[in-house]
Amino acid sequence: MAGLNFENYQRNSYLSTKGFATPRATSTGTTIVGCKFPGGVVIAADTRATSGPIVADKNCEKLHRLAPKIWCAGAGTAADTEMVTQLIASNLELHALSQNREPRVITALTMLKQHLFKYQGHLGAYLICAGVDPTGAHLLSVQAHGSTDIGKYQSLGSGSLAAMAVLETNFREDLTKEEAIKLCADAIEAGIWNDLGSGSNVDVCVMEVGKDAELYRNYLTPNVRSQKARSYKFAPGTTAILRESVRDILDVEETVVSFDQMEVDTEA
Amino acid sequence: MQTTVASEYSNEIHSVPIEHRFNPYSDNGGTVLGIAGEDFAVLAGDTRQVEGYSIQSRYEPKIFDVGDNIVMTANGFAADGVALIDKFRQQLKWYKFDNFGGKLEIKSAARYIQHLLYGKRFFPYYVSTLIAGLDEEGKGAVYSYDPVGSYEREQCRAGGAAASLIMPFLDNQVNFKNQFIPGTDGKEKKPLKYLTLEEVIELVRDAFSSATERHIYVGDGLEIKIVTKDGVRTEYYPLKRD
Amino acid sequence: MNTISQRFTHANTNDVANEINTVHDSLSHKQTLELAPSISVPPISQPTDFLRAHTDDASNPDCKIKIAHGTTTLAFRFQGGIIVAVDSRATAGNWIASQTVNKVIRINPFLLGTMAGGAADCQYWETWLGTQCRLHELREKERISVAAASKILSNLVYEYKGMGLSMGTMVCGHTKKEGPAIYYVDSDGTRLKGDLFCVGSGQTFAYGVLDSEYKWDLTVEEALYLGKRSILAATHRDAYSGGSINLYHINEQGWTYHGNHNVGDVFWDIRDQEQSFVNVDG
Repeated sequence: MAGLNFENYQRNSYLSTKGFATPRATSTGTTIVGCKFPGGVVIAADTRATSGPIVADKNCEKLHRLAPKIWCAGAGTAADTEMVTQLIASNLELHALSQNREPRVITALTMLKQHLFKYQGHLGAYLICAGVDPTGAHLLSVQAHGSTDIGKYQSLGSGSLAAMAVLETNFREDLTKEEAIKLCADAIEAGIWNDLGSGSNVDVCVMEVGKDAELYRNYLTPNVRSQKARSYKFAPGTTAILRESVRDILDVEETVVSFDQMEVDTEA
Repeated sequence: MQTTVASEYSNEIHSVPIEHRFNPYSDNGGTVLGIAGEDFAVLAGDTRQVEGYSIQSRYEPKIFDVGDNIVMTANGFAADGVALIDKFRQQLKWYKFDNFGGKLEIKSAARYIQHLLYGKRFFPYYVSTLIAGLDEEGKGAVYSYDPVGSYEREQCRAGGAAASLIMPFLDNQVNFKNQFIPGTDGKEKKPLKYLTLEEVIELVRDAFSSATERHIYVGDGLEIKIVTKDGVRTEYYPLKRD
Repeated sequence: MNTISQRFTHANTNDVANEINTVHDSLSHKQTLELAPSISVPPISQPTDFLRAHTDDASNPDCKIKIAHGTTTLAFRFQGGIIVAVDSRATAGNWIASQTVNKVIRINPFLLGTMAGGAADCQYWETWLGTQCRLHELREKERISVAAASKILSNLVYEYKGMGLSMGTMVCGHTKKEGPAIYYVDSDGTRLKGDLFCVGSGQTFAYGVLDSEYKWDLTVEEALYLGKRSILAATHRDAYSGGSINLYHINEQGWTYHGNHNVGDVFWDIRDQEQSFVNVDG
């Protein structure tokens, strides 16, 4: 059956009373932002994924496609933002097909909030949802419990305060597309530097009315790894071999076929 | 007559109890590392200080020259670390007044720090402590401590947030653990040798730049204090700031 | 008190000095405690609960302060004196804090103490025991007996009973009147005289080998090997024991050190020599 499986719920909560730690999901630390400009909307995200204090992925993708011209940036539990986004993307496509219209951002948002509300915040997805549709450019956000927001500029995640500081300082109604991209990238960078949960690179997606959406993967890479001072190449034989076994993963059989003996029908 | 039926989960015990108890500790991140050479010793630490997901400072040095050619660090809960080092410095001052300015040998300093830490056995300092310097023979020495004062002299030791990332690297590159001489079929270990100061600095820089990549509590800057017979010298290298 | 500060301060107006004097006065009836520091305690009603919540990784795996633990140590009496063998691993939670710990403290040329449990507790109080033994020598003009030395330690830990000390130790030595003697002392206050003890998280594995091979008539060489072999068995099966093996032999001449043996090397040597551990590849 579709949906979530609660089979192990009682077992797991029993286990946790016995002192077994619940496994930690890869998550939360993130900075995501979005900002509107006349004729379009930009969203951006950092690319760090953490598991506790450890950086699990230095260059993950937090910008998800809901429809060709509707994209969303996700903060919160990595798996939840990924799966929720994929589910809504499918349903949105089916909806667009049955209605024979381009999908709208507000539709995507409604589907997301109804889905998230149903799970009472247990799906830890915090999304900034943006795109262009026949009604224009839109920028919306939805929280894990299902509440939603509308705004000309928004930020979410653990770096949202750092990012919002930049947005509040530099946002104007009459930003050009380039300025809007710059503003979003700057806001993400503020998160990258000042929030420990965010880091590495900046991804940007621009959606303009009447144009295809453009994804700039690794728009900025301000955190290239420095060259190591020493070489750590080990000479072959440095590691002791306790046992060796070689296995054939396929059997090769050779048969010689002589073509001279074959009869060739020349008459046909 | 029962009017309401208890739900299946109404008697559930919460797995995470609400804490009301006395909690005087916090974790300020950071990592430290000490390596002893033949006639030198280094103590290195990043300069980032954190609280939760915020950076409190990008440059708050935590390696200190405490006098008598000894460098010291106490990493973990910053307030406890500073308190411990201050206490040691103050006592060293009194020691000098009492002993006509005589030098405190590093092994005596080491034993004294055990007493400082154990003196708070039932209300511990939340720190991992390292000191480095030269012994009576002029050989490099690093002493490491657990929070309540168990200590040991070692060739190298990492402490703090990324200790578990750095220590295996050090075991392999300083003490040549799991390295054999090629061609001996794992029978002969790579012989131990003293590393030069240049090699040690390179190892320290690589250890910290790598820890910075994978641990969010490590970064901003790397400060290294180098102890030789000529005194204590400091070097600084920037680290990534994300 | 510091000599210079004493000269320049009026003792009755100095808060710090007064405090120190008060503590000294209150402790003066306990002669053995004079060299022990005053140990500070958190200013709350249940200091022991506080300590457990913050440092006991068995009851609270998320506790921040992890105190070094875990060990296998053994000592046994035989025809030729006493053998003491210990591993060298220290663990803090699941983290191997060190593989090079010295778990035998040399109290004097005729007395050894072993360490199991809290590393700091053992290291600190057994060093302290060393000073007490030396003071006994100076006062009584003769070496302390093993019985008396072990009793100093057991009395000390008993004063701290319930406060959270964790130690399991064997005080081993040789004196003229006692001959070779082993006393087991732990932080509960237990003190036992005996011929053979294994202490620590790997004790059961060590007992397994030691009990099956032990004889009173062992030669010194055989006994040293048995000590080493028993610790090896423990390091092989107990994750909290490992590193290397330190060996000691005690007889009427005092103790002799029989070296540090890396478990990684000893294992393969013994495997080849005994044709044991055949289930292990290599």
